[in-house]
Amino acid sequence: MTVNNMADPRRPNKIFRYKPPNTETNPTLEDPTPDYMNLLGMVFSMCGLMLKLKWCAWIAVYCSFISFANSRSSEDTKQMMSSFMLSISAVVMSYLQNPQPMSPPW
Amino acid sequence: MRHVVFLLPALLLLLALPYTRGRYNDDFDDGEDIAEFDDNDFAEFEDVSEDPAVDVEKDPPPRAAPSSTPIEDDEDEATVENEDGQDEFEDADAQDQDMYSKYDNEEFEGYEKTNPSFKDTLIYREVPAHLQNSWESYYMEILMVTGLLAYIMNYIIGKNKNSRLAQAWFNSHRELLESNFALVGDDGTSKEATSTGKLNQENEHIYNLWCSGRVCCEGMLIQLKFLKRQDLLNVLARMMRPACDQVQVKVTLNDEDMDTFVFAVGSRKAMARLQKEMQDLCEFCGDKPKSGAKYGIPESLAILSEMGEVTDGVMDNKMVHYLTSHADKIESIHFSDQFSGPKVMQEEGQPLKLPETKKTLLFTFNVPGMGNTSPKDMDSLLPLMNMVIYSIDKVKKLRLNREGKQKADKNRSRVEDNFLKQTHTQRQEAAQTRREEKKRAEKERIMNEEDPDRQRRLEEAAQRREQKKLEKKQMKMKQIKVKAM
Repeated sequence: MTVNNMADPRRPNKIFRYKPPNTETNPTLEDPTPDYMNLLGMVFSMCGLMLKLKWCAWIAVYCSFISFANSRSSEDTKQMMSSFMLSISAVVMSYLQNPQPMSPPW
Repeated sequence: MRHVVFLLPALLLLLALPYTRGRYNDDFDDGEDIAEFDDNDFAEFEDVSEDPAVDVEKDPPPRAAPSSTPIEDDEDEATVENEDGQDEFEDADAQDQDMYSKYDNEEFEGYEKTNPSFKDTLIYREVPAHLQNSWESYYMEILMVTGLLAYIMNYIIGKNKNSRLAQAWFNSHRELLESNFALVGDDGTSKEATSTGKLNQENEHIYNLWCSGRVCCEGMLIQLKFLKRQDLLNVLARMMRPACDQVQVKVTLNDEDMDTFVFAVGSRKAMARLQKEMQDLCEFCGDKPKSGAKYGIPESLAILSEMGEVTDGVMDNKMVHYLTSHADKIESIHFSDQFSGPKVMQEEGQPLKLPETKKTLLFTFNVPGMGNTSPKDMDSLLPLMNMVIYSIDKVKKLRLNREGKQKADKNRSRVEDNFLKQTHTQRQEAAQTRREEKKRAEKERIMNEEDPDRQRRLEEAAQRREQKKLEKKQMKMKQIKVKAM
């Protein structure tokens, strides 16, 4: 479909630069999942470390993976890596302290 | 009990000793010792046989302890005995019972057969799982690791699929966009405004494209909002609740590019939702979504419009044709000169200022396939992009007549007045606090002045100002009173 037979609709002199939408004024646009999962992951890994609960530590690993999968590309990788490392360390510490295998809750 | 078990073969062998004695001449002294030994031995046996019950009821202590004494006793005799004895030990209880059956029952006079209860007294100690040396006991861990691997696999596959879909979309639309816009693809970071010519990846499932440099519009932001295929949880959730990929197009216009009207058309569900969510649709299109049957569009679509004239103007033949042939892919189309986004819920009640508005055209399209899209499906969205371009040009040309314009202006001033009324008290309070702040600031300045003369002068100036204000107010009150009279 031809837009305009007469002239080229392009106007190089009317170019506007891209401005990323301001998410502070419109918080509904942002997906809160990665932040929640990050927080959950940290809480679970702390629980796993302090209370020596293996299942807590495993859930923390899952949470940090989910947070990573949902994260925005503009987000800091350091935060992701730190939560990931924390959850891995929670798992490792739980097993070092108590090498018994995890017992299922049923 | 173990004593009896172990000593029985010893007994047997002792009985057999006379036949074997020849071989052990070196080890054994002459008959006296043997006789002594035999006596002691038999004495022991007697003791044991008299109290069999006690032995039976006792929990068998670690096998090493009771076996040690019989072993010691029998050490002088053939070592064969020990081995036999140990063999007896290693066998299970069942073996013991077999042993009994082999022997003469007379041997067990006074010994009560309490075999059945024997088993109850044995306690098997559980070997802790981590010492068992078998991987099977770690099955929960293996399950967890398998789950993680599955998640990672799904992440890679989902990411790649989304990337392929985005690329397919861009490839099929590139030509159309490049022929219409001077700038195709910009992430806002480069110094010069040059087309990057590629999508801007915001997420693993959201891709942006900014196009600019065209008549009739400021710019166009296209967002490819795919499903979160990279997140396994989302994939599982979608099995319960199917959803589809969406393409959102937002065209921002200059002031001269669009007349003042608000209009929306789309699926019934989307219209109902937008009417509740969107600030401008809520204020300007108060009526329920109407059917567009009289224009020829399918029943599945509904219209929200500020006034009938607007609908007539927008719904020309070409638009109707687009809507009819692609009704399944259209989620919503929203034209508005008062667009300010969804309604913002503020904590302190109403916002003090009217939200900023921008003339915008918003299009939301559903990608066919309901989640199971293939890159080929992206081609079917091309006619919709044509519709977008057509709409941009159309909106530029669409002008309301005089009546329509008057109505539209009335609507807008009505909305503004409503807003001001609602926030009146709050604005008053805000003004009051501002005035108090100013006074306080002035007082502080006066206090902070070190020079006493200047202080006095400033104080006097402030007092005079206050006096003037009071007089003004009194004058106003008098005037109002006079007018009222």
